[in-house]
Amino acid sequence: MRRFLLLGLAIGLLGWTAWSYGSVSLSHGAATSAMPNPEDGAVENGRYANRYFYLSYPLPPGWTAGLAGPDPSDTGYYVLSSLVPKGEHDGTILIAAQDRFFAANPDKDLVATASDLREAMARIDGMTIDHEPSETTIAGHLIRRVDFSGVGLYRGTYVTEIRCHFVSFNLTARSPERLAELARTLDDLSDAGKDSAASVPVCIKDYAVAENLLRRVEPVPVGPKFTSIPVRIIIDGNGNVTHTHVIHATSEQRQSIEDALRQWTFKPPRINGKAVEVETGLVFRFTSAPSL
Amino acid sequence: MTRSYFTRSLSVAALMLGATALSPPAVAQDANQVFAQNTNSANSAANQSRQRPVDPGVRAGVPGAGGPLPGLGQNELNFFNAAKNVFNEVETVPQGLGPRFNLDSCGGCHIQPAAGGSSPTTNPQVANATVDGAKNAVPAFVTANGPIREARFVRNPDGTPDGGVHDLFVITGRADAPGCNIKQPDFAAAIAARNIIFRIPTPVFGTGLVEAVSDTGLQTALTSNAHQKSSLGISGVFNRSGNDGTITRFGWKAQNKSLLIFAGEAYNVEMGVTNDAFPNERETDPSCQFNNLPESTTNLVNTTNSGSPAADFSQDIINFAAFMRMLAPPTPASSTTPIVQSPTSSSVQVASASATSVLPSAAGSPTASTSGTSATSAASVTRGQQVFANVGCQGCHVVNQTTGKTAMTGQSNVTFQPLSDFALHSMGTGLADGVSQGNANGDQFRSAPLWGVGQRVFFLHDGRTNDLVAAIEQHASRGSEANEVIENFNMLNVTDQQALVNYLRSL
Repeated sequence: MRRFLLLGLAIGLLGWTAWSYGSVSLSHGAATSAMPNPEDGAVENGRYANRYFYLSYPLPPGWTAGLAGPDPSDTGYYVLSSLVPKGEHDGTILIAAQDRFFAANPDKDLVATASDLREAMARIDGMTIDHEPSETTIAGHLIRRVDFSGVGLYRGTYVTEIRCHFVSFNLTARSPERLAELARTLDDLSDAGKDSAASVPVCIKDYAVAENLLRRVEPVPVGPKFTSIPVRIIIDGNGNVTHTHVIHATSEQRQSIEDALRQWTFKPPRINGKAVEVETGLVFRFTSAPSL
Repeated sequence: MTRSYFTRSLSVAALMLGATALSPPAVAQDANQVFAQNTNSANSAANQSRQRPVDPGVRAGVPGAGGPLPGLGQNELNFFNAAKNVFNEVETVPQGLGPRFNLDSCGGCHIQPAAGGSSPTTNPQVANATVDGAKNAVPAFVTANGPIREARFVRNPDGTPDGGVHDLFVITGRADAPGCNIKQPDFAAAIAARNIIFRIPTPVFGTGLVEAVSDTGLQTALTSNAHQKSSLGISGVFNRSGNDGTITRFGWKAQNKSLLIFAGEAYNVEMGVTNDAFPNERETDPSCQFNNLPESTTNLVNTTNSGSPAADFSQDIINFAAFMRMLAPPTPASSTTPIVQSPTSSSVQVASASATSVLPSAAGSPTASTSGTSATSAASVTRGQQVFANVGCQGCHVVNQTTGKTAMTGQSNVTFQPLSDFALHSMGTGLADGVSQGNANGDQFRSAPLWGVGQRVFFLHDGRTNDLVAAIEQHASRGSEANEVIENFNMLNVTDQQALVNYLRSL
């Protein structure tokens, strides 16, 4: 009996899992020279700029950054920025992103995510759908829009996909007219700062799997057990990990995973025979043996 | 805190009850810090001039809580009734109390508005300090009309994380503890070092139903409103047992796996009574050891004959767990009749996570709202329920949960309304206490179940306020998942804001 318990303990201590996902999509991304992460965007000089998503959005006149949101979640959800008027708050703008690799119930595409939001809002007592999901293009980004209102608040969500993230602008206003004004400011959205000459990582959900791995070093299990730790990595054309982004973890877990991933090597990524830079995701979950 | 300062603080943004979130450096703030942060938050100075809703106060009338779950069998009811008596028993040193403790009975802390509830209007800890000859000093953060509190130190003297409970009182001086000579912790020093945070008792009504929800059920409820949450900056994550990986769900940070663990830990930590789940004394000074351990054990002979052999043979923590498990949820006020508030209820600002060395007295400094008897219209409550859903409170305070298969008679597949997802949420620097428990970090808290909030006196994890509106506002601060919801709340007209408060007081 004791032998089995010890075996279970050993297995448990080694027990962490990593997995990745299906489907492939090309990103809108750009050069990774400075390796920014999604949460690195900021409001500066009256403009929200995000180098990871290559977004640049001039704030409505008289607006500023509001309270910072929480850190990225274990499902890859980001509060990128909260924008508010400097005076009385008659509206707000929340910029958020959901990593498609790590959502608990991932939507299959942009149409589905807008449609599901519409259905969720329609189920709320007193909420009215004012603008059915529709498609538009802003700054080269295909965007799905849905508007809804209730208890005197008028809201519109504009969502697009960038680098396998659903990036949304969530507008709220006290009147439909104010909401329309805020919506018009999105026309000024741009990808300013994007280096067109830079390489664009290809976004692939399921690249970090056994058949693509040449060398794998396990991270040391540390910190709280049974937590999901989402990680994005960028692999260069030689199969080396050039960037690691541990999205949600304790500092000791982050260090352990970064130390391990630095030693991973992959088969050199190729698409149609051409070397490419790949961005992919994986999840670590440290476990321990039961306390037997 | 001056009245004007507090009034200014009230201008802050916020909604949703119950806490969440981290930032270890931002812990152990005094009230001045807390409110300063919030003053910089979602509400601008321009918003402060707007009319503000008023908390009508604790709902009057009979307590809608304290009884057993409907549908239980007779043997279960017998067990519940006997266990309730054990829950309310006052312990002495020969029965296991101490050497360190916060109060001498479960029912002493969990009493408002009935057995199983939270902190009452009059704090029994003040009188308890000197029971039976004890000469405990009452710490500055415990006042006669403030909340029952336990204290935790954030850091050890060497700077490593502490987070543990440091009991308020010792048995030194009691007639039933001759020779014991230990001292109370130096709370004044902890206050001066801003190394102390507080917790108030969590109500345990309906917790048997919560225990009976499957992990899948909780996960389904958490993801069912994911799209609404993602439009509001909300995510949420479950705390999990380090032993088996399943979802833990009890306590302010959802750190406890089961009601039995919850009871066993509290019996040892809050009262000093060792038991089969926690068999060792935390205070090991030889002069204060009076009993064989564990102090509460299985009874081999039935000497009680209460009518429930299960209760009579079981040790105390089994009885505590049984009482909580079979304790019914609070009953909300009828939505078709006016809701009358207590004529004695008043809004009182309570000392926050610091003490009177840096704060004015916690005792009864009146603030914006002092209500006499008042009636809230049913229409307002109904509207408030709609507001609750529309602004996004239900993103975390999920209305419905459903039990799975349970051994309790008639309790399987029961849908109930705790108004909580039982997940952890980041609540920002304003509520962060810097204490990690399980997978919960210093700024994360479980969405507090809102059932019964109508008859609650004190709010938030440390009982910093008894003004429900202030509690709502305190949800917004840097790093909080509730910021957008509070922005929505602040953009409502005051009639709808009041409706929301009225709805909450109807629960």
